[in-house]
Amino acid sequence: MMKAMIVIDNLNKHFKSGDDIFKVLKGINLQINSGECIVLKGVSGSGKTTLLSIIGGLDRPSSGKVLVEGESISKLPDLHISHFRARKIGMIFQHFNLFDHLTAAENVMIPLIPTGLDMHEVNHKVEVSLKLANIFHKANSAAGRLSGGEKQRVAIARALASNPAIILCDEPTANLDRNNSLKFIDILSQLHEMGKTIVVATHDPLFDTLPFESKIIPMEDGSLVDTFSKDTLAES
Amino acid sequence: MRTSPFFHFLMLGFFKERKKHIGVIAISLVILFLLGSALFISSSIRYSLNQTLAWEPDFVVQRTQGGQKVNAPTAWIDDLLEVHGISKVTPRVYGRYFFKAKENSFLIVGVDFMDEQSNKALRMMMDETDLKQFLKGDNMLVGEGVSTHLKTHFYPNGYTFLTPKGVFKKVNLFKVLPKKSNLISNDMIIVPIELAREILGMGEDEVSDIALNVPNDDEWDNVADKISAFYYDIHVTTKEDIKKAYENLYNYKGGVFLILFLIVIVTFVLILYQRYSMVYSSERRHIGLLRALGWSIRDVLKLKFFETMMIVVIAFVLGVALAYLYVFVLGAPLLREIFLGGANLPNSVILVPVLDFGILSSIFLIYAIPFISAVLIPTWKIAVTDPKEAML
Ligand SMILES: Nc1ncnc2c1ncn2[C@@H]1O[C@H](COP(=O)(O)OP(=O)(O)OP(=O)(O)O)[C@@H](O)[C@H]1O
Ligand SMILES: [Mg+2]
Repeated sequence: MMKAMIVIDNLNKHFKSGDDIFKVLKGINLQINSGECIVLKGVSGSGKTTLLSIIGGLDRPSSGKVLVEGESISKLPDLHISHFRARKIGMIFQHFNLFDHLTAAENVMIPLIPTGLDMHEVNHKVEVSLKLANIFHKANSAAGRLSGGEKQRVAIARALASNPAIILCDEPTANLDRNNSLKFIDILSQLHEMGKTIVVATHDPLFDTLPFESKIIPMEDGSLVDTFSKDTLAES
Repeated sequence: MRTSPFFHFLMLGFFKERKKHIGVIAISLVILFLLGSALFISSSIRYSLNQTLAWEPDFVVQRTQGGQKVNAPTAWIDDLLEVHGISKVTPRVYGRYFFKAKENSFLIVGVDFMDEQSNKALRMMMDETDLKQFLKGDNMLVGEGVSTHLKTHFYPNGYTFLTPKGVFKKVNLFKVLPKKSNLISNDMIIVPIELAREILGMGEDEVSDIALNVPNDDEWDNVADKISAFYYDIHVTTKEDIKKAYENLYNYKGGVFLILFLIVIVTFVLILYQRYSMVYSSERRHIGLLRALGWSIRDVLKLKFFETMMIVVIAFVLGVALAYLYVFVLGAPLLREIFLGGANLPNSVILVPVLDFGILSSIFLIYAIPFISAVLIPTWKIAVTDPKEAML
């Protein structure tokens, strides 16, 4: 029943600056099952964004590996890893990262373009995800003119556009007021109900008491504090 | 046609960010306009030169008195026929006739219609002319310029010349010479040789000059020397001399052209640099983001390629089209002075539209390849880095 969606195996990441080596992620082991919601909690600089980026295939580990549905993504050639990102991962970035000169709908269209769908299907998917993220009424507004909360809902719609199995959210409420943060959690629980595998990186206490089942994993200085042991991994 | 989402997105991005491209398109357009104009003018001049030279015989023999050209006696013709190596001797009768009202002048050319025309240009012009009908009365064939000039002065059907003897001579306009020979025939009036003599006031035993054909190039110097020795007042001009004289007129290899060219190159390098650094600054995040959203390296390169291609094609087509209008419709004011070197050339020179597709396509490639590289190379460099890095 508990199908492993993401398996992180002894993951290390370090950055070199001159002769210094700066270790950001230190021996991380983690298994995330299909449909689970994981909240990575940690102070600024603990390595949350780095970990999410590696899971999403935006960055490569220095050592160790990440398996998504049993496939090691860090070793894939570009065309495959791009494919993987386009179909499996929906990413909501810390700073939304919208194209400000494009409309909400056009932003949502972007991940669908390389998938080879025709215009009709693309438009249909854009509409569905804008409605799901509750921002369809702003479909034709320029993204740069939207409020913070609206921008984030466009970012959510974009993450949902290709109907990915995994949603990664980096500090999703950092730029939102309380009201908008609560709305975001509403949408998140909807996604949870849809069976998405969700990983949220945050230090917002709102996520301590989510209205649905979730697993909080504290992160400290590049390590997971309360994590699966190697043994649990071996068992599965 | 159903647009693909890719092209839909390409157009969207292009038009919504047109501010980013408009400057580069405008500057490229100016560069291509200048290059295109220079090309059009020089290929038109080269074409004219060839046409004019085709009109010229291998040798022209003139009589000079006090350094000035005067009419030559027909007696020379027989002497010239004796010279070994000369295949054809053609006496020519021509001269300028000044149209008083406006100080414009026509070139009256007398043609011996009984003689088989050795001159290619003349043959081409008189193609399709009914000679029998033409020779029945006092008729003339006129160039387009002459025809319009006469029309504006209310002589649509002919013109009454005043000969040097004070006699009025009415000549009917038989036909307008074909447009394709305008370069040579624009201000030309072709009449039978006797009529030309009458209008120009030349005696029966006089010709303007004598044209010679010497088929063997190796004999040119030899023949020229021989003829020069015949009479003390004979002057020989070879086709080479004529060619040199014309080339001196067209100083398009001169300094101004070089400066123009230098400006174009410097500007072009600046444009390339602007594009190159733009990709690294403002485009960098966009490329990283597209990659993060599932675009492959190839998808990103494809987008940037087409985007750049649109800039290149818009600038090229507009620049070249404007250059064409400027040179061939407006007659290239300003630039014309640079190329034609000012006063030497009679202002009747028209720039004949000549499209040299070979040079046009090499201009396109010389412009497009560096331009596209200046965008695609940095795009590729950014696209192959990890998206997280690129988005920073
Ligand atoms: N490309 C890089 N080069 C060098 N150091 C980096 C790089 N990326 C991240 N780091 C460092 O790694 C550490 C972890 O960064 P990361 O962004 O993962 O932290 P975070 O937990 O997301 O912090 P925040 O809550 O502020 O977003 C930081 O100290 C950061 O300076
Ligand atoms: Mg972060």
